[in-house]
Amino acid sequence: MAKIGIPRTLAYFLYFPFWNAFFMELGHEVIVSPPTTKAVLDRGVEEAVNDACIPIKIYHGHVAKLIDKVDFIFSPRLVSLRKHGDFGTETFCPKFLGLPDMIRVSMDRLPPVIDTRIDLKAGKDELLNVCKETAFFLGMTAEKVIFNAYKKALKKQEEYQKILKEGILPPLALDILEGRKKRKEIPRIEPELNIAVVGYPYVIYDPYVNVGLLKFLEQEKVKVYTQDMLSNKELNGQKKYIPKSLFWYFSNRAVYGGLYYMKRKDIDGIIHVTAFACGPDSMVDRLLEIESHRHGKPYLAVMVDEHSGEAGVRTRIEAFVDMLRYRRG
Amino acid sequence: MKISFPHMGHSYIAFKWLVEHLGHECIVPPEPSKRTLDLGVRYAPEFACIPFKILMGTYLEVAEKGAEVIITSGGMGPCRAGYYWVMHQYILNELGRNVEIIAFEPPLCDLKDFWKKLHRLRVSGGLSVKAFIEVIKTTWEKIKAIDDIEMRSHEVRPYEINRGDTTRALWKALDMLDKANSVKEIEEARREGLEVINKVPRDLSRNPLKVGIIGEIYVVLEPAANHYIQIMLGEMGVQTDRSIYLTSYTRKNTIYNLEGDVFAIARPYIKEAPIGGHGVNSIGETILFAKHGFDGVVQLAPFACIPEIVAKSILPKVSKDYDIPVLTLFIDEQTGKAGVQTRLEAFIDLLEKRRESRKRERLVV
Amino acid sequence: MKTGYLGVDVGSVSTNIVVIDEKGEVLSARYLRTNGKPIETVQGGLFSVGEEIGNKVEIAGVGTTGSARYLISMIVGADIVKNEITAHAVAASAVVEGVQTIIEIGGQDSKIIILRNGIVTDFAMNTVCAAGTGSFLDQQANRLCIPIEEFGDYALKAKNPVRIAGRCAVFAESDMIHKQQLGYNTEDIIAGLCEALVRNYMNNVGKGKEILPPVVFQGGVAANRGLVAAFNKYLGVEVIVPKEHGVMGAIGAALLAREAVKKTGKTNFKGFNIKEINFKTDSFECNGCSNACEVVQFYENGELIARWGDRCGKWEMSTR
Repeated sequence: MAKIGIPRTLAYFLYFPFWNAFFMELGHEVIVSPPTTKAVLDRGVEEAVNDACIPIKIYHGHVAKLIDKVDFIFSPRLVSLRKHGDFGTETFCPKFLGLPDMIRVSMDRLPPVIDTRIDLKAGKDELLNVCKETAFFLGMTAEKVIFNAYKKALKKQEEYQKILKEGILPPLALDILEGRKKRKEIPRIEPELNIAVVGYPYVIYDPYVNVGLLKFLEQEKVKVYTQDMLSNKELNGQKKYIPKSLFWYFSNRAVYGGLYYMKRKDIDGIIHVTAFACGPDSMVDRLLEIESHRHGKPYLAVMVDEHSGEAGVRTRIEAFVDMLRYRRG
Repeated sequence: MKISFPHMGHSYIAFKWLVEHLGHECIVPPEPSKRTLDLGVRYAPEFACIPFKILMGTYLEVAEKGAEVIITSGGMGPCRAGYYWVMHQYILNELGRNVEIIAFEPPLCDLKDFWKKLHRLRVSGGLSVKAFIEVIKTTWEKIKAIDDIEMRSHEVRPYEINRGDTTRALWKALDMLDKANSVKEIEEARREGLEVINKVPRDLSRNPLKVGIIGEIYVVLEPAANHYIQIMLGEMGVQTDRSIYLTSYTRKNTIYNLEGDVFAIARPYIKEAPIGGHGVNSIGETILFAKHGFDGVVQLAPFACIPEIVAKSILPKVSKDYDIPVLTLFIDEQTGKAGVQTRLEAFIDLLEKRRESRKRERLVV
Repeated sequence: MKTGYLGVDVGSVSTNIVVIDEKGEVLSARYLRTNGKPIETVQGGLFSVGEEIGNKVEIAGVGTTGSARYLISMIVGADIVKNEITAHAVAASAVVEGVQTIIEIGGQDSKIIILRNGIVTDFAMNTVCAAGTGSFLDQQANRLCIPIEEFGDYALKAKNPVRIAGRCAVFAESDMIHKQQLGYNTEDIIAGLCEALVRNYMNNVGKGKEILPPVVFQGGVAANRGLVAAFNKYLGVEVIVPKEHGVMGAIGAALLAREAVKKTGKTNFKGFNIKEINFKTDSFECNGCSNACEVVQFYENGELIARWGDRCGKWEMSTR
């Protein structure tokens, strides 16, 4: 039995249930790095190459938190999850593609990194091969055991996806999945406004990175919609409304989500949360801004960076929410 | 149609010829200037990279001059550049500029779309298929000749006795090429042009340092974007070679961009390839330059360039393993010439001292 | 008469002038504000150095460095023009034998230079960000209404340095104000600022560099004892601050001049009394081709002595 460390960022918010179940079924212990804090970010800034974006720096910080606590760090090379885009070449951002190599060069005393290449372009079944490879890395070769773990993991992931579709956001959805919280305990509020919050899962769902945005919106009696509550069909249907799909998985999801909600009458406004120095977002943000403008939907871009205090961001969101209320009359 | 295209080094000479001989009017893009950049910075997203901003400015400038169509390249990702034309078109539309961008996506990705766009250019210009192919072929010869001449100038410049002789000879040679109208004339102009450069008075007793230039394609190919770094280095007495030329892949020299090979060479350092742009190439080419006896490498990249940031984080290890100094210059709209020059001068001092101390070591041994 | 070598370092913020003797000892030094007028500043500074030592020392070589090194070389008649990175490395090597790391923090820029066996093997300079430079402290000192000279002493009195967040001068300032409002004492805040600057410097300029002792800390900011303490704490080694830490660039230029004239055997020095000379710059746009280069012309007492700025070199001329 080994201790496997998973950084609580990037793909964690969407795909943790799968890998958690998979490793547990194989008899390993999964250790998740602590929630993002200022210290995690500071550590990341020290470790990562200067010019990197905030999410990559935060990732380095989380990896650093796992050193000395685990036997392996699970940092798969996220290449692609599907054949999508105008040429079927959709991938993750280039920084994700090189991430395992980056942490290896930048960080000392790193335990072995499980950097299984995840490229599911050939089909969903590829995931089983990815699982096998990951298990081999841990010295496990019994195909049947791996297959069973894979099946269990898929089931867990499906369950999780279902909770997300109900409109429950990731940090809470994970708690419900793990039985830490019950659905009944969620206070029901009568929403006064509906706002779509789009952006990358590791930006919008991380309570430190989003500077308390979701909590604030909840307090303001705003019902939050995100791209991750939509089915793939609903999302991918938006592809035809833009001249060319983007190249990056999370960016396409954010853009499609934004386009979907722009067309919905009951949505009062769109908030795009973006992280400082994110390359793809320089495209995503302007595209969403122009499209929102064309759809006549109020749009707010919130950029979080290393310095963003809650106060500054909150002022802007407060003003945005006030404006939406006023528009509603 | 009034057609324009992005400015990239001296290639405009060939593309101008192409547009005109396709039966269209050419709006030649001006060399990127302070104004180009100002325009671009004003209308581009803040965190877009410098090539996006310069192109944005160029497109606005050619729109002013009456361009109706801008021809550019697309891309399949994952570098942002392949999506630039979409955003440029969005922004031009928002600004009410009546310009259409025709982007040629890689033919391997979408052959039909590629042919459709070619067909449109041909028919609207009134050319037969045969004449069309002839024009394309001639253009390609022109591009090759331009690259040949530029390469030679970088070899000669560090030996020039009077500063500027080589640059003036280069311009003269390019001017000859500009006037050539057939494959035969191009070949003649190429030969004569090379001769003009070879005739530059030289001091052959010099032993110039050799520096390889790697990085992102636009800032490597457009001197106006990189503060004319190759000329600057040449005038400091340094011979330069760069990994990227428009005609790189037709050349039989390992330094030039033989994609598959470069990826294999980079593999001990980065297992994934490609990662977009020239990220992996930058790692592989540094190794190649080291193996070919170059004294140092300069990595040129736009500030916030995604693939080159990945490369930069890995290059220190390559630099150490292969014992070749690497200077990274990230370029944005605030990069001043003085800053670039100071860093280059210091880098050259460093390389010279290294060479001297090695010579001494050899003597001792 | 003693033999001396003149070094002039003209940056955007400060102008430093030194004269050293054959052994490298400083005979005279000036630390001046450039105030956007490099020519006048050098003219005035040189005149005052001349008044001090002009009748005792004969200048045998002149070197210039800093961002205005080329312009100033023509004013003073330099024998060598060198970039400030090399100049700083040369000076530190002369002062501290076997130096392996140089931390240099000036008003507007900062650098790190790595040497091994007396040879520069790596260096880095800050980019646009001011968070790792002296102006970062200047701004905060202003805000706290404490003279920058006393900053270091305040910092040394701190018991619990406050953690000032922010890797950018602007954000650090807002965080500092926040901490003030929370009632932290000034000493702890100032020490916190020093530590923030060191962190910013290390994360920006020092990133990924192998820092081995001896470490020399130079530049105008090295006078700040609070910063020295913060570097010692961060690096875990005692950094060495040379006596002439503020003028090391100029010393480097002078040392390089000493080398240069050994080869040429003569100097181009125009003398200390260049105050009376009228230097003037103007420019025109060349219409020779579509490049439309801006050609700069430089005059000495109305006589054109240099031209530059043209890419083809057809207008270029220099005094030599």
